[in-house]
Amino acid sequence: MNGSVIGRGTVVRGNVRGSGSLEILGRVEGDVSVSGELLLGEESAVKGSVSGSHITVSGAVQGDVRGSEAVLLERGARVVGDLTAPRIGVATGALVKGLVRTDGEPVLGTPRRPATAGARPVAFPARAPAPVPAPAPKPSEPSETVEEPESEPPPLPQEKAAREAPPPPVVPALAKGAKAKKKKRED
Amino acid sequence: MAGTVIGEGLSIEGDVSSEEEVVVQGNLRGKLTTTDAVSVGSSAVIEADVSAQSLTIAGQVTGDVTAAERVDLQAGGRLIGDVKASRLTIADGASFKGNVDMDV
Amino acid sequence: MMRHSSEGSVLGPSTRVTGRISGEGALRVEGGLKGDISVSGPAEIAEGASVEGSVHAESLEVAGSLLGDAVTRGPIAVRAGAVVRGDLRGSEISIEPGSRVSVRLDTQVELDLGAPRRR
Repeated sequence: MNGSVIGRGTVVRGNVRGSGSLEILGRVEGDVSVSGELLLGEESAVKGSVSGSHITVSGAVQGDVRGSEAVLLERGARVVGDLTAPRIGVATGALVKGLVRTDGEPVLGTPRRPATAGARPVAFPARAPAPVPAPAPKPSEPSETVEEPESEPPPLPQEKAAREAPPPPVVPALAKGAKAKKKKRED
Repeated sequence: MAGTVIGEGLSIEGDVSSEEEVVVQGNLRGKLTTTDAVSVGSSAVIEADVSAQSLTIAGQVTGDVTAAERVDLQAGGRLIGDVKASRLTIADGASFKGNVDMDV
Repeated sequence: MMRHSSEGSVLGPSTRVTGRISGEGALRVEGGLKGDISVSGPAEIAEGASVEGSVHAESLEVAGSLLGDAVTRGPIAVRAGAVVRGDLRGSEISIEPGSRVSVRLDTQVELDLGAPRRR
């Protein structure tokens, strides 16, 4: 389609979705979802989740960014949220606070998360009371640090991982005691 | 300046407020406010109150429209809602249902 | 095994180490390491190399595989073809497209989502 543009002087409060490509130079407070290419310009600001095929971010996003093909963060981009796509690029000078995951890689520290979910672990079925096995790295335990996958049974077939490294141990969810302990660190 | 273009295939549900020209060819439901011109293309479907400097309608608008200057309802355009503007033109082939307030 | 030079240490491609590596200067891993790295200089995990453990270094460049957390004072660079899983903390973090990552970044991000920005 004729690409859509949300210009610099424009503010949208609500959800934007559709087919085709979209360029955002202004502000959106709401979720953005397009089937085509999505460009978030230097001075753009989006407060909401963002999805598209090929997403290039130079502005600010507070929300998850999900690209069906790629997510590229340019220098100056600021994202507070998770990035997921088959291809992810984060340029030097881009700032991210969140999980960055290429498709097919296990989800870090979010047990029992559906493999397809691109969303944050906030809205979760009650099945696992979201024991966030917090990063809280304890550098003093060399043998422990390697075992991070313990709390995250690999959600996906480890097709490629096996080539590079032994797959993370397949361990059932946390033991009862451990869960209680970990819960405290939830945030 | 290109301003804002809501292209065909794109839908916005919510409020759009702007200080530049807004061209709508897609769908908008909510509210549209700009200090500049609004152009509603033939493929556009708008269910929103629209407030602009001037307004050209070739598509479908359901909602009250207010323009500081003028509203032009073009052939093929359809407007259901009240108009408040100092000037209004309704072209042959346009359809319109609503009240007009040209109080200046 | 470990070759020492004025520039730093290198863990050769055919070398496999289980244990902790710490010291002054730079470290380049070309082989395999199960254990943590703590060096004062820059660390590099070369293409084909793998590290399972945490990394503390001045800076870090990963072209191979890193399963573990990394903390650096300087930048962390993940190259195309690399595999990285863990928390990354550094002054600047870059990730090249073509890498496979599942990482947590905890950069301080100032988001000005308030009024539209003007130049």
